[in-house]
Parts: sequence; structure tokens; C-alpha cells
Amino acid sequence: MNPLSLNNYKQGIELASGMFNDLAFGYATQWKALHPDRRIIGYMPIYIPREIFHAHQILPVGLFGAGDRIPVVRGDAFFQSYICHIPRTVIECALNGNYDHFDGYIFPAICDVIRNLSGIFRVNFKDKYIKYLDFPQNFSADIGGVFYRTELDRLSSDVGKLNGTTATVESLNHAITLYNTNRHLLRALDDFRMESPHIISAVDYYLIRRAGAVLTIEDYNQFLQSMTDFAKTIVKEPEDKIRVVVSGAFCEQPPLGLIKTIENAGCYIVDDDFQLGQIWLTKDIPDDTDDPMGALVDAYLNDSIHSSAVFEGDRPKGDQLAKQVRDRNADGVIFCAPSFCDPALLDRPLLERAMDKHHIRHSGFQYHENLGQFHVIKEQAGTFADMIKLWE
Amino acid sequence: MNSNYTLGIDVGSSFIKLALIDYQDQSSIKDILVEKIRKRNPTVVIDNAVSTILERNEIKYEDILYVASTGEGELVTRKRGHFYSMTTHARGVFHHHPDAKTVVDLGALYSRVITLESSARVKNYAMTGQCASGSGQFLENITRYLGVTISEVGPLSLKSTDPAKTSGICAVLAETDVINMVAQGIPTSDIIKGIHLSIARRIVMLLRKLKVESPVYLTGGMALDEGLTEAIRELGSERNMNLKVHSSTDNIATGAIGAALWGGFRHFKLLEKN
Repeated sequence: MNPLSLNNYKQGIELASGMFNDLAFGYATQWKALHPDRRIIGYMPIYIPREIFHAHQILPVGLFGAGDRIPVVRGDAFFQSYICHIPRTVIECALNGNYDHFDGYIFPAICDVIRNLSGIFRVNFKDKYIKYLDFPQNFSADIGGVFYRTELDRLSSDVGKLNGTTATVESLNHAITLYNTNRHLLRALDDFRMESPHIISAVDYYLIRRAGAVLTIEDYNQFLQSMTDFAKTIVKEPEDKIRVVVSGAFCEQPPLGLIKTIENAGCYIVDDDFQLGQIWLTKDIPDDTDDPMGALVDAYLNDSIHSSAVFEGDRPKGDQLAKQVRDRNADGVIFCAPSFCDPALLDRPLLERAMDKHHIRHSGFQYHENLGQFHVIKEQAGTFADMIKLWE
Repeated sequence: MNSNYTLGIDVGSSFIKLALIDYQDQSSIKDILVEKIRKRNPTVVIDNAVSTILERNEIKYEDILYVASTGEGELVTRKRGHFYSMTTHARGVFHHHPDAKTVVDLGALYSRVITLESSARVKNYAMTGQCASGSGQFLENITRYLGVTISEVGPLSLKSTDPAKTSGICAVLAETDVINMVAQGIPTSDIIKGIHLSIARRIVMLLRKLKVESPVYLTGGMALDEGLTEAIRELGSERNMNLKVHSSTDNIATGAIGAALWGGFRHFKLLEKN
């Protein structure tokens, strides 16, 4: 199915669902067949500046593990039992040959596990380009900014050599324009869903956004525009559910069954951090400067969304989450983090205290990407919804 | 047309239960409908059951203030809201028995003990694990081996003089036990009583865990089984728990009644809010 020739909403969801389930990345394979001299780079969550790859005519593809869709046989040999699940399915897929048509991998700095995974890839895939992309935790331009600029220049130079291209001011500015459009489209769809969460189910919304990890930005922008237009024509009665913000699932992704369970238990998810990288930058990046790389650096330093993988500085994450809850007119927060996810779980007590301070109701649980039983989560989310509906 | 009706739909794994309530008329129960799923598509059974209850009460869907689901509510295609089954069972029991301190929901797949605050609010709960040996489905399977109907189970159990001992840990082992007992010629009433005591042991364990107070009301399909009720009483008394155990009125439809009542409450709360 072509993302550019959709006839209705259902077709779009089928397309997105097909791409979600396609662990062989058929779309990327087709793209490479059309562009045999171009490269595909896989990247892990949370955020990478994809504009750089577009400027080099490289296809960046998001690697979110394989969830419950493959058995982990070899992946477990690389990680201890107290390590989260996503690196197991990523290495399993790589060893199974699912990423054979990829030319390199980017591992953005999230936590020690992802850093170790980059090392494991370096040892096991010597013929591929492997980059552990470090991000500054100091947000002043003359310290963190200089460091980040060096990282991005090195990345651009590396992938340029790999692809035989140079990122020009024009190509970078053009990429920034496309990604600015993407951010607008995502925001428009998000605003629509915030107003009408009953029209697009949480699972559909997840799949629509997940397509952005695979499609070229040009195709994805058109896909988003079509899906927003289709969604606006759907007529459906809203249900009496509470509105919740889900927090903590920015790296290892929850299984679709879990997202569905939360919604079926009586909660409309009106905001989440499932694929935080797509909305990492909260404002447009100037696309007409002589220094587009500098614009990318400034955007990261000044307009990044809050995340457990980033030092909060003078903007406490708890206050930012509380603001998110108010902006979304949400009734509460569900802390939903993967087991053994250090960034999310170390932040949780801090965020819970902040929610208490702001008198925002919250509940929390943990999952792993291949979780198959949702009974306990249904119970917890259901009682949380009832408590707010009946007793608040 | 009276526009104060609310409808509760409790979707269980064996039965669909519906309760139609006149929320303004002292929340009186107007109608109850219980439909066995019998390997049919539950969504179709639900849709048909809703049509039936509306037709026989001569009301239209649009006349209902709030249609609330409970249990496996996602199977109800048209509704206004969903309440969790613990919340609805608590409310359903409280409607008939305002003195209730504890509710035991004896479902087809698992059982759950709920302790209540004075306003039908859930205080605490505990439930059986995923093993089937504490469930109604298990009891139903046993009746097939024994060649008796579900309605015969209670009276037969009460006639037992020497209850058989069965595995209280695993449904598979207990089923094997039952087959062996039949082969040994142990009377059916003693086998059933043994099974009842095995299920009751799990329930009493939960009651002890929560340190519950009486009166205790039983809901769900198995609450119709007076043999099981008696077995819970007996074991409670053996453990000096001094429990007053009763089967709740409208026991199988308690969840649906609770859902309809919370639906009405929620409807007027939303009206007030807006």
C-alpha cells in the first residue's frame, strides 16, 4: 500500500499497522532498491536530529525493538536479567538479519544500557557504521552548545563519508523546513486528538506516529496530512472516560495491548511520551540561516521537551509534567515505565512528589515490551478511573 | 416517557447480565436479564440482550440516561461509560444490603474479596490467582464429569456426609481426582462437597488475608450455589472467623445493578459539573 494514495482512515491504519509489524523493514528495502547508492541508518530512541540525515539523502529508520513479536533466543545472552528488554530484541533482530540492509546505527545517549548496546554492535557488526551520539547535559551555549556542535559536525562528516555526500547550507535548511512541517502536522493531529480522543483510539494514534519512524519525511508528512483529514470526517460518540497523561515510556515501547488496556479501562490517553523523539523540539527551527547546524544546536539547547534522560536544570521536570497535565485538561497521570528503565524509574518518585504537590492524581505500574498479560494493569487503570469519576 | 432509566451491562466470561434501573424512583430495579453466552459471539449476545430488555420495557436506547458496562466492557459497542467490576459489585451489594462490610465476587474465571467503606467505596481487595481451581468455570467442568446440572450441585453438596478430599491447588489435578473418585464409586454428593470445600478454602484464605468484617455477601454466578455458601460458612467457623455469610439478593446480576447505579450517579454528577 502506498502512503501517498490512501482512500480512507482505515487504509491508513492498515498501512501503519503493517509497517509496525514488519520487522524486516520492507519499506526501507524498497527505498534502497530505488536509491541503491544511498544509505539507511537505524537509530534508537529517544532523539536524534534527523535533519542531518535528510540533508545527506540518508534514510533514518527508528529501531524500537520487536516487542512481543519475536522470541528472544540470542539476545538474552548479552544482557543480565536486571536489564530492560529493548536491547534484547534489538540485538536479536540484528543477529537474525532483520537489519542487514542497514548501513549503520546511531545510539543516542539515554542510559548505560544503550551505551553498552552500541559497544555490542561495534563488536558484532564491524562492517557497519556505529555511533554513540552524546548529548550535552549543560545547556549553556558556550559549554554544552560547543560540545554538541562538535558532536553534530562529526556525525555529519561521518555519514557524509559513508554516503559520499556533503550537507550544504541549502540541503540542511531544506531538511529543517520539512521537519518543521512535520512538527506542525504532528501538533495539528495532536491538538485534534486532545479535543476528540474518542475519534482516534490510542492504539491508532500510536501506529500513526510510529509510521514516522520508517517513512521518509516527505511521505510521512503527506501521510499525516491525509490521516488528520480523514479523522476529521469521522463521527463517533464520546464515552465518559477520564483523561490521563501517560509518562515514562519514552524508550522501550509498551505493547499495543497495554495501550489498549489503559483506554478500555476507562482512560483517554490525551498525552504521552511513547515516541518522544518526534516531538522533542517544541518550536520551529529557523530554516533560513547561514548556519543551519548552529540552528539545530540552539533548538536542542533551548527548545527541548523535558525528559528523564536530560538534566532538568532550572526547569523542574515535575513542574513541566504538571503543566502538561493542565494544558491537556487531564484528570491525572499514569506512570507507565518499562521494568529496569533507570531514567524513568529513578525519576518516578520525584515526579510523583511533584504531582502530589500540584494535587494531581496519579497511579503507576511497570511493563516490558513483550508483556502479554494485562489483567493487573487493567485492574489498576480501571480503579484509578473509577476513583476519579466517582469520588473526585 | 420516563427518562430516568440507567442500564448496566456486566460482561462475564460465561454470562451477560443486564440491569435496568429507574434512578429517580429510589433507584428501583425495573428489569434484570441474564443471558448465557454459549460459545456465541459475545458482542452479538450483548446487542441482542440490550434490544430485548429495551423492547420488553418499551423504551428506546435514547431514553436511557447512562448505559454503563462492567466486566469485559470493551465488548459493549455502544455505551456511555465503563466502571471496574470491583466498584460495581460493591455498589450492587450496597443497594440491597446497606449493612454489607465485605463482598465476595465468585466469578467464572476467578474470585475476589472486597471490603467496603460505609458509602459503598472499595476499601481493600484480594483475588485468587490465575489458577482455575477457584473458579466457576472449574465447577462447571466438574458437573460435566459427574453428569449433574449446575442447579443440582448445591442441594447435592448439602446432602454430603463424608466429603471427599481433592487437590485445592490445581484444577487439572482436581479434575483427575474427580475422575478417580467416580471410578472408585464415591457418592456424587461427597465429591461435590469436596470440590466446594476446595474452592471455599481459597476464598476463606482471602477473607483471612483481608481480616474482613461481617456481614459478608456473595455475588456472581457461584453465589447461587447454596452448597458453596455453606462450605464457606463451615470453613470460616472451623477457623474461628465467626463470619456471617449470605448470598446477595440478585447475586448474579450484582455487577450490572452496580454499573447502572453508578451510571446514574455519574450522569447527575456530570450535569452538576457542567
